[in-house]
Amino acid sequence: CKKLDLAPTDRYTELTFWQSDENVNNALNNCYNGIYNSGLVFYNEGLSDNAVAKPSSGNGTSTIASGNFTPTLDRFRSDWAFYYGGIKSCNIFLENVDKNTTLPEATKERMKAEVRFIRAWHHFNLMKWYGDVPLLDHDITPDEAKTIARTPKAEVEKFISDELDAVAAILPANTQYDDADRGRITKGAALALKARMLLYDGDKMQDVVNICEQLINNQAENGTYGLAANYSDLFSNMDVNKTSNESIFALQYVPTLRTWGDYFDFAPISAGARTTGLSPTQELVNSYIMLNGKRIDEAGSGYDENDPYSGRDPRLTATIVYDQYEWKNPDGSTQIIYINEAKRPTGKDSSNVYSNAGQGTQTGYYWRKYWDPNHTPPGLSSGLNIHLIRYAEVLLMYAEAKNALGQMTGDVWNQTIRPLRERAGFTDEGALDYPGSGADMTAIIRNERRSEFAMEGIRIDDIRRWKTAETVLNEWAHGAKYGDPTVDNGYIRAQLRVFDPSKHYLWPIPPAEISLDPNLSQNPNY
Amino acid sequence: FQSPSRQNSRQQQKINLHAKDEKLSVILDKIEKQVAYVFVYSNDDVNATQRISVDVNNADITDVMQIISKQIDKDYEVVNDKIILRSKQKGATNSSSQSAANTMSNLESATTYFSHQQADIVVNGKVMDDKGAPISGASVTLKGTKTGTITDENGNYTLRIADEQSTGTLVFSSVGFTAREEPINGRKAINITLVAADNALNDVVVVGYSTQKRSSVTGAVDVVGHKALEDRPVTNLTLALQGTSPNLIIQQNNFEPGQSPNLNIRGLGTLGDNTPLVVIDGILGGDINLINPNDVATISILKDAGAAAIYGSRAANGVILITTKKGSKNTKPTVSYSGNYGIQSPRITYKPVDAWENAYYKNVSLVNSGLAPAYTPEQIQAFMENGNGDWRVENIVHDAPQQSHNITVNGGGANSTYLLSAGYLNQQNNFVGPDYGYKRYNVRLNLSNDIGKLKLNTIVSYTKVQNKDHSFNAGTLMVDASRVPLYYSFQDTAGNYLTNPVSAELNPKGILEKGGYRKHDDDEFFGNFSAEYSITKDLKVRGLFGGTIRSNNEFDRVMPISFTPGGSYGSNRDVGNVNSKSLFTNVQLIAQYTKEFGNHNIDVLVGGSNESFDSKGSALFMILTDPALGIPTTGTTIDPARSYTTNDATTETSLNSLFGRVSYNYNQKYFAEFNFREDASSKFAAGNRAGFFPSGSLAWRVSEEDFMQNIRNSISNLKLRASYGVLGNQNVNAYQYQTTFFNYPNAYGFNNNVVGGAGYTLGNPDLTWERAATFNAGVDAGFFNDRLSVSFDYFDKTTSDILYQREDVPQLFGAGFPSYNVAKVRNRGWEAKATYNIPGKTVVQTISANIADNLNELLELTSGATEQVLGKEEFQFLRRVGQPITMYYGYKRNGYFQNLDDLKGYPKFANQVVSPGDVKFVDRNGDGVIDDNDKFILGNPFPRYTFGFTYTIAVKGFDMLLFVQGVGKRDAMIRGEQVEPFHVGYGGTMYTHQTDFWTPTNPDAKWPKLSENGSADNANNYRTGSDIFLFNAAYARLKNLQVGYTIPQRITSKAGMSKVRIYFTGQNLLTLTKLSFLDPEITEFNNNTALSAGANSARAYFLPVFYGGGIDITF
Repeated sequence: CKKLDLAPTDRYTELTFWQSDENVNNALNNCYNGIYNSGLVFYNEGLSDNAVAKPSSGNGTSTIASGNFTPTLDRFRSDWAFYYGGIKSCNIFLENVDKNTTLPEATKERMKAEVRFIRAWHHFNLMKWYGDVPLLDHDITPDEAKTIARTPKAEVEKFISDELDAVAAILPANTQYDDADRGRITKGAALALKARMLLYDGDKMQDVVNICEQLINNQAENGTYGLAANYSDLFSNMDVNKTSNESIFALQYVPTLRTWGDYFDFAPISAGARTTGLSPTQELVNSYIMLNGKRIDEAGSGYDENDPYSGRDPRLTATIVYDQYEWKNPDGSTQIIYINEAKRPTGKDSSNVYSNAGQGTQTGYYWRKYWDPNHTPPGLSSGLNIHLIRYAEVLLMYAEAKNALGQMTGDVWNQTIRPLRERAGFTDEGALDYPGSGADMTAIIRNERRSEFAMEGIRIDDIRRWKTAETVLNEWAHGAKYGDPTVDNGYIRAQLRVFDPSKHYLWPIPPAEISLDPNLSQNPNY
Repeated sequence: FQSPSRQNSRQQQKINLHAKDEKLSVILDKIEKQVAYVFVYSNDDVNATQRISVDVNNADITDVMQIISKQIDKDYEVVNDKIILRSKQKGATNSSSQSAANTMSNLESATTYFSHQQADIVVNGKVMDDKGAPISGASVTLKGTKTGTITDENGNYTLRIADEQSTGTLVFSSVGFTAREEPINGRKAINITLVAADNALNDVVVVGYSTQKRSSVTGAVDVVGHKALEDRPVTNLTLALQGTSPNLIIQQNNFEPGQSPNLNIRGLGTLGDNTPLVVIDGILGGDINLINPNDVATISILKDAGAAAIYGSRAANGVILITTKKGSKNTKPTVSYSGNYGIQSPRITYKPVDAWENAYYKNVSLVNSGLAPAYTPEQIQAFMENGNGDWRVENIVHDAPQQSHNITVNGGGANSTYLLSAGYLNQQNNFVGPDYGYKRYNVRLNLSNDIGKLKLNTIVSYTKVQNKDHSFNAGTLMVDASRVPLYYSFQDTAGNYLTNPVSAELNPKGILEKGGYRKHDDDEFFGNFSAEYSITKDLKVRGLFGGTIRSNNEFDRVMPISFTPGGSYGSNRDVGNVNSKSLFTNVQLIAQYTKEFGNHNIDVLVGGSNESFDSKGSALFMILTDPALGIPTTGTTIDPARSYTTNDATTETSLNSLFGRVSYNYNQKYFAEFNFREDASSKFAAGNRAGFFPSGSLAWRVSEEDFMQNIRNSISNLKLRASYGVLGNQNVNAYQYQTTFFNYPNAYGFNNNVVGGAGYTLGNPDLTWERAATFNAGVDAGFFNDRLSVSFDYFDKTTSDILYQREDVPQLFGAGFPSYNVAKVRNRGWEAKATYNIPGKTVVQTISANIADNLNELLELTSGATEQVLGKEEFQFLRRVGQPITMYYGYKRNGYFQNLDDLKGYPKFANQVVSPGDVKFVDRNGDGVIDDNDKFILGNPFPRYTFGFTYTIAVKGFDMLLFVQGVGKRDAMIRGEQVEPFHVGYGGTMYTHQTDFWTPTNPDAKWPKLSENGSADNANNYRTGSDIFLFNAAYARLKNLQVGYTIPQRITSKAGMSKVRIYFTGQNLLTLTKLSFLDPEITEFNNNTALSAGANSARAYFLPVFYGGGIDITF
């Protein structure tokens, strides 16, 4: 006979847990673990005009992008729950960490600052998608959860802003951490996140300028940042990806042990993928400028619709796989990716070919950016870090804010867009030189963000805050010119999108949440 | 055949015996050595150790017996070569009181009121069962007199009656058979066939911790005898029970060998696990699917609180008591063999359209969606000319044999019985590939020994299960083989496994044939040791120790295959090894007092028990192992996320209990019973541990009343029953009452090194039992001498404090919850059962039928929350207060948009572009737009009106059994390629059942117009959860058909066999259903219709049809 008081053998109880320093570290790591995930980074591209997701991939991405959804769509609640789950872990940490009496106070203060940053990050994401959201600055009880109301967006923003200021004063700069702590949240990350939030606000451009200037000009205090020498290496070269000081805030992975595997559904089939869950659009491909700096539809651009991938922004090739792409295999050999059946020589590999009856790409394009040559099974598992904020964004935020304030100059250009284009591989002065005040600088900066950050989940934020979604998400998303020549000039119709500006700029508050908490209100027109 | 003359000659044998103060058993032994008689008695009746004295010379047996019977105060009876000793009869008896509750064999139950066969006519004959086997010990009496006899071991009888009674009537009866009357009409030879009675009033019914006579049972207890299980080619006991008892509901979500079916009594009363408690030979918590069906003697199904409360905390879902076969006292060793062999044949109920047709439909779909056609007329022509490829399900399955063999040896002496059985089942898997299949080996030994007042009982059994299957997921294999258009084949002429753009990654045939395997090798040892001591005639104490040791081993191996032109499987060369062992022990101590005071009969039982469970396990998973051997090699890594050690996988639980029963009846007419159990469980915190579960029940045998006596010929039995009680349920995981923190590996990385993380699980210190208050009322009736027996029960059960996660808290709380005692469900229903025996001179028939219904209603969900909706792919599951606990939820269709005028006025989803041929939805609230407020409750996925029907007929040596089982009402929401043409781009083919789709010239089509995934039409028609996915899953199925022939004994006896029966048997031969493309038995749910179940995508392993034959031999 056994006694009735039985304790589990694989767990700690509430009383004993926090006494161990190791456990406190683990609880902190658990907050890091909940920051974000690769699926949210990549599949959010499919919400924008950069990519089309398969209906069965990306948790409702395709449905949201189509505009044809109801508030009960599971995605609206699962993302909501993801962020609030992350906030809960943070609040539990903050309220219990002082039960530990053996860690040095300074260490605990730094840990708390890291956690407060993560809590601010979750609130920022919530606010971005849902507008007004409940602000949780302490661990709530079930009863509080049933009555809490939405906090006006401005107040949430104020909270995040104050928190980021506070933690920026505590957190070490990237140069102050030991190498072993690389990947921890830094003072620079807190400043950069604050800049992003204020930029998204749209009305605080001077503040954005001030923070960016701190990061660009006061690196001794705020951390040393720069651009990686090679655009592609930043995503695919394990060493550069992990150590470049371009990275300000990144999701950290470790080969074989903590990995992401989305490339199983992104790469050309012949590179080891099983299917294509997310396909780049023709609209994204078209956005890459010519090496001479001109848009493809500009007079004198030299763009040839029959040879569309020549003479383009090198970031196109670094990001997207197109027909006849020369794909580098992990062993150093190369293979040609045949996507256009009409141009596939007899006997060549047909597994990547576009077919509107097949499992491969929906648009005639596959992805390359973030391809890991050191993928490991199962599937295509990668230990590459995924950048959430990088220094290139600071430069482009600075350019955008200056421009918005009417302060764009050749100096600002040479501090921001020029180095990015140089790094991308442009050499033609038509692309590198400041185009002067006559150019549509707003369009140039916006397009530069699209090319620089494609596949990083930022495009959907941009078109929502610029209020251009109602245009670019109100039409067919297209693929390559392998379609019926009588329809849309032969460009594949990949997905019809509808965007209702009267409501779609905010996601609906999940109705299931409203039904359990009557104090939650719904967003307009849902 | 015993002739009278031989009997007379035996009576003339003389006895010399000189014994003083000798044990009765010794004296009887000595007599048996001198004369050709054997003594038969029950140890309950006769104490063989008492000492007597006999001193005779050259005496007749009758003289000796009178001396003995006087000393031991017992009656004796000479029947053929047997002398039966038993308690003196009290006054007149009638045929319905012939059997005592605890007799073990037919012989012992024979009545002894026929000692004066002084008559003029001799009638003789044979009594057989409906399969032609002799019934020994059956009583044959002349109606209205005390004249009678019993049959010998070959079923033969000889009865002398007075000449003037040659127009009288003989009454034939035997335990377990319906009594039968037969007019003599002057005949000298009367052979008779008795039909087994399911419901005979004097049958012993196994109830919790004891037995009762059927006539004394006050609760809702249904008994399934071994006859219902015999010779059925089913692979486990659960499947054998399907349809045998009303409201015993059995469903499956996959028919692959080795799967455990869902088993449920009276439907769903709780939101959690509804699995009934299984008790095998008195030990709680056995695995019903590991026992050999051939070893089962009887199964009692305790349905109401009156019957089940003695099992207290785990009885809320009902209790299934399984009793295994034992040997009989005073029977010579009997060896019997039964075996069957047959073929399981896959039944694939859907069919892809021809390749060329599919290309045409694909073009239609593309063009309908504004896209270019994919195939040119020339290509379609070529498909037509080249014919179809072989990429279809039929080519990854094949006919597979299934066989089972059982040998049983049993018998017994005066003080002991034994039964030894061995069974073997081999069910091969229908998937192609190397030796996939399920094997089960069972060995059982049941022993009993009486040592004076002490009875010892030992049951040990051992079961080994070996199941080997493929390394992948059966549903995925099925779907990968079934949704590829017939342009493709599995292999090229060189034998390479191919892939194609639809099944871009995997070739299911390759995976089955070369992709590795999973091997399960599980052992179970069961032991049950009990000792019963009779302190006085009325008071017994019984101690029992028993338990189960399980040891399971699983070895998984994934082998790499490369497909042509691309794709691969198993390139990471996974190897997994999972081991677990568990020990369950049960100690019981029980005292029972039984006494008659005149017309007052009482039976009191009290007991205590502890159950302890301890399970441990470990697992090792490695990737990149040696390709040939699957062992570690250069580059091999251990997968820490899947591997674990004993400390990660230890579960311990303990339960202390006190229980008891008081039964009282007055003159076998008025019955009252009280049961209780008090349980204390380790699953709950100290203050919430104990639960008290009482029940009371009453019964009235109206047929015993005087006013009924003149209609006893028509209404032979009538009993009314009612019970009320509270039952418990503690089906929650251990340790949930404590908030715990757990560390886990690889939470994050710093500087490219992994670090661990710590998660937490909230606890609920207030966790305690679910309580089910159950009312039951029933009636049992027998008509025409119980030739027709009927029973009906109604129940009303309200389960409160149901353990459920809180659904009243929005997810912004940020964490999941443990179980709380929050929900409440009411479950009501009824069950009816009828059996009609039609005896005849040469044709004997029985008809039995049962039907039942239950319907639950969610009364409370969780602290104020009244609704929970969970999206399942396209549609939704709903839990809403006031409705059955799980419902399908979505939009209702209202025909199709037929033309442009139609498009203008009719409500649509906001922003939804529709065109003619698209589905219209019902605007439920009439607000002109279709949105979430227009959803309907579409259906109930749980079966209602479940029924079973059995017909048997025996003609001479031939017998036939026909068994039909079905469900009268069930809704099934099914998604996937079987419903949606070219499903989400994953489905590459259409099926023949999908070709009736909308076109301008086919406006009343079954399905909407074809449209491509991603198009607005497709979004409207198929991405919107509507009743387009709703199907009627009612069915009636010919589950079993058996035709047998028993070879006449005069032939078999020459070969030394007493019975030989050969038979043909078929399983799942015929199904009536409206659901054409999926087996209607398939459910997406397990035993709780949990919202967490995945939607049914119609990809389950099919139900095979079985044809075969078998033989039963008794030596």
